[in-house]
Amino acid sequence: MSFHHLDQYATVASPVTRMPPTARLIAVLVLAVGAAALPLGAWRQLGVLFALVALLATVARLPAKLMLVRMTGPLGFVFLASVGLLVLVPGDPLVRVGFLQVSDAGLLRFGSVLGRAIVALGAAVVLVTTTSFPELLHALREIRLPKVVTTALGLAYRLLYILVDEVERLQRAARSRNAGAGSARRRRVLVGVAAAGLARTFARGERTHRAMLARGYRGDLPTLSEQRWDRRSVVALVTLVTLVGVTTVSAYVGR
Amino acid sequence: MVPLLEIVGLGYAYPDGTAALQDVSLAIASGDRVALLGPTGSGKSTLLQHANGLLQPADGTVVVDGIPIQDDTVRDVRRKVGLVFQDPNDQLFLPTLLEDVAFGPLNNGHSVVEAETLAVAMLSELGLAGARHRAAHHLSGGERRLAALATVLVSRPLLLALDEPTGDLDARSRRRLVHLLRQRPETLLVATHDLELARAVCGRGVVLHEGRVVTDAPLGDLLTDRDLLERYGLAADLSD
Repeated sequence: MSFHHLDQYATVASPVTRMPPTARLIAVLVLAVGAAALPLGAWRQLGVLFALVALLATVARLPAKLMLVRMTGPLGFVFLASVGLLVLVPGDPLVRVGFLQVSDAGLLRFGSVLGRAIVALGAAVVLVTTTSFPELLHALREIRLPKVVTTALGLAYRLLYILVDEVERLQRAARSRNAGAGSARRRRVLVGVAAAGLARTFARGERTHRAMLARGYRGDLPTLSEQRWDRRSVVALVTLVTLVGVTTVSAYVGR
Repeated sequence: MVPLLEIVGLGYAYPDGTAALQDVSLAIASGDRVALLGPTGSGKSTLLQHANGLLQPADGTVVVDGIPIQDDTVRDVRRKVGLVFQDPNDQLFLPTLLEDVAFGPLNNGHSVVEAETLAVAMLSELGLAGARHRAAHHLSGGERRLAALATVLVSRPLLLALDEPTGDLDARSRRRLVHLLRQRPETLLVATHDLELARAVCGRGVVLHEGRVVTDAPLGDLLTDRDLLERYGLAADLSD
């Protein structure tokens, strides 16, 4: 199976992809924290942060459709998790739907949660779409995420693709001998494929461990560090952080 | 002259009690290029893992460059014997090729800068410099095989032990690998079913059968002995 499409936009030359992955990660964290720190109903400031995310996506040459598709799934979860606020938060009634009553305070809270989520998810989508996983891992190491976490993520990343390939092969082999079988039989076969996949995972883990030992592994996974900071990246990051900071603080000033 | 690899009376059984190797003795001098031949299950991979110290002998001794393999010497031995596994996916476990190739030098005490320089040079030598920031699942089968080789060659082992190196390669990748192996200066121990590869790369053949060495001879003689090839399941002729 080819996985080239996953990192398709990480290789597109743009001012965003020229920034070090750590700068991209920090920018996204700042945008997410800035949005989360906004008070309820700070629509103008949410609009400014959203415009910053849209600007980043445009500069990174990400198609709007791709952004929407990648944001839809996580946004669905946020929507489901927060839609209850409309009727659960007490306040002046706005609309009545059957026995449920939407309050103004509920709408305010729901809108604010959704707005913050859109900004944070948009920024996250820009990050993961313009940054290959290895680069992201470097960035996580550089912001001092515990080594055991980044090591586990790195190994899991490689293993995941190998396992997807193996499970696909198992499925193909099962399907080729399973023509015309009923749904109950197909389900049984699926359970068999899952069990075989699990067994292969263990075997693969054992072989990989041996391959690591054969090259001198002693329990600590050494890594290369990669710094690509330049003046332009530092200026871009500082500008973004300042803009987000000013926007967030402005929401509290004069309230 | 002390052999680079000397195995004397090696015996090993799997945890379930099945004998994998029985009384195996073998000496490989520096510069030798040896094909380890035998049907599936004959003990070839197990023997290679003993040469690298991944497995330690239940009986007998394994000595690499004058160092007997024991708990306290196994790390030194692993620097001298580079083992390339049958499936490159087992060997390429880090997010990028560069990190995978630098893994050995970093473990051997090189600084980050040195390890990266060595890794880049090795990838360039094998024509993979352009792929250094890619993950192994973005490589073709042939590139993956070369990358697995790079992860071992970068540590400049004295003995290169290869387990079925052409198992999943197409004709072009196989030719490229053979060309590369012929030019390598390392002593070679190649476990393979691929008699064409053995003929192209090695000068000596050792046949393993049910965990025992049954023949150790110049490869040219061995490959013309039709009776022997048929007796040990090595004949590649499918016409009869």
